[in-house]
Amino acid sequence: MMIGIKDAVKLIGISVIACCAVFVCTLFLSYNIDVAALKDEIATEVGMMMYQAQVSTGKVVAAVSGGCLAATSAVMLLFYIKNYIDTHGKELGILKALGYSNFKIAKHFWIFGSSVFVGCALGYMAAFLYLPSFYELQNAEHLFPEIKVQFHPILAFLLVVVPAIGFAVLAIIYACLRLKTPALDLMKEKHEHKAKLSKNETKDIPFLKELTRSTVRGRKSLVFFIAFSAFCFSAMVQMSMSMKDLSSETMAIMILTIGLILAFVTLFLSLSSVVKGNTKTIAMMRVFGYKHNDCSKAVLGGYRPFSYIGFAIGTIYQYALLKIMVTIVFADVENVPEYNFDFTACAITLGLFILTYEIAMYAYSQRIKKLPIKSVMLE
Amino acid sequence: MIAVSNITKFYGNGGSRNQVLKGISLQIADGDFTVILGTSGSGKSTFLNVMSGLERPDSGSVAYGASDITKLSDGELTQFRKDNIGFIFQQYYLLPNMTVEKNVRMGADLADNREYREIITAVGLEDKQKKYPSELSGGEQQRVSVARALAKKPKVLFLDEPTGALDEQTSRQVLDYICKLHKEYRFTVVMVTHNQNIAEMANTVVKMNSGKISEIFTNEKQKAAYEIGW
Repeated sequence: MMIGIKDAVKLIGISVIACCAVFVCTLFLSYNIDVAALKDEIATEVGMMMYQAQVSTGKVVAAVSGGCLAATSAVMLLFYIKNYIDTHGKELGILKALGYSNFKIAKHFWIFGSSVFVGCALGYMAAFLYLPSFYELQNAEHLFPEIKVQFHPILAFLLVVVPAIGFAVLAIIYACLRLKTPALDLMKEKHEHKAKLSKNETKDIPFLKELTRSTVRGRKSLVFFIAFSAFCFSAMVQMSMSMKDLSSETMAIMILTIGLILAFVTLFLSLSSVVKGNTKTIAMMRVFGYKHNDCSKAVLGGYRPFSYIGFAIGTIYQYALLKIMVTIVFADVENVPEYNFDFTACAITLGLFILTYEIAMYAYSQRIKKLPIKSVMLE
Repeated sequence: MIAVSNITKFYGNGGSRNQVLKGISLQIADGDFTVILGTSGSGKSTFLNVMSGLERPDSGSVAYGASDITKLSDGELTQFRKDNIGFIFQQYYLLPNMTVEKNVRMGADLADNREYREIITAVGLEDKQKKYPSELSGGEQQRVSVARALAKKPKVLFLDEPTGALDEQTSRQVLDYICKLHKEYRFTVVMVTHNQNIAEMANTVVKMNSGKISEIFTNEKQKAAYEIGW
């Protein structure tokens, strides 16, 4: 079978996201379980209120972060499988034509689930190694009796084994569904088009503008990933700035690191995918005499508005999440500082985002410039 | 006038270095229909790529009038292709997510050609303008690529085995369109093929063998696409 570890390695983005998700969930769920074991030993009313707040925080952070990241990993996995089937249509079509059943081919896609296993295992181990430092910080505040690090096999099972099996099964089911395409259509690499032309296609739109639109329309999942990347950058950077006052510096650094890793990995994987998916188009444009700048703008430019939409949603998300935490979760806790929207943090984050995004765009436009025309034409 | 002088081209490095073009010289007059004929591996496609500015030779010159394109920078070469050259390939290379009209517009916009629909009509695809390449037959796809190449009003049209992926009937149809449009617009045609019969349609036939020109001759009477054997 043609699917191997090499193909699974390309799913490093999913591994990184799974790693971050499991890291956050392990940290907070372990803490919750260990604190819950000490519940009976908490004697003061303030201590009890803090306990309730900490447990609620842990649940909210684990559910929101874990849920969002798991959903993103799932979307990314489906995107990779669709992409794999699209680019290996000929080989898969031949296998089907030879008599292999959809399931017989699809079951080999389990290997894509291994990226989730690697990410989850690394995330779990990283969190477990970080737990002593994390508990030390909590213990230093003397809110509860001393919390000790304990290994919870149920967490390892739920956060490493279950996602790995779940994603492997998801990969097989999705591949099975995609492989329902007739063998001939797979071999012809038939592109799906909506039967009805959009209004834009009946208008007299210049080629470059239409190319920008069709590039975005052709890979809607990449719109999601680029917007998600901007969302992570915006939400996590701003949240980390506010967290310094609301929680601790360690928490702020942790959030910032996870946010930046997620943002960069998703952005670079998405842009690589955009360039790779449009290599032939770019080569043909260059053959015809389109300038390098025109090619870059047409292929990459369409995603810019979506990245800013992602940034705006990230800003709203982090504000809403922190506001909910402060006003609802910590409602009964004393000395929690009031939280208001931080315009300075937002402006600084926006500036950093524009700078980072444009540098990434420039780097990928240089990559487009270096695409060898002839090798593409001779494929 | 295209003047090719003493072109050499090597592929590979060290021991596997292979000379594909061995000092080729050739002159092609404006408006001429030239066919470069040769077997697989004779170097005809590499020669076409070098002549059209898609590849740089290791030595020699390719002059269009007074301008030697081997001395142009990448940016200048792109501008040169934009202003002068049209391409048609065996594999069509149409943009799959765009309709016939938009594919043709890819060429037309470079020449600010607002009358590109006339060319779509000229290749018999006026009723397929809103179709996508995957909804067309091989012959129709190649006709789109003919229209796309001509919509940019090239001075020279390069064709690399344009009928290589088509059956006889469809090939004749595509060649007929190319001939008709050549007579109408008088651009220079340089076509690479391994099919000796297609050579009967050309003014000038250049035979290549092992990276060298083995013979050049002129057809006294050019045959039409439906007159040649297959």
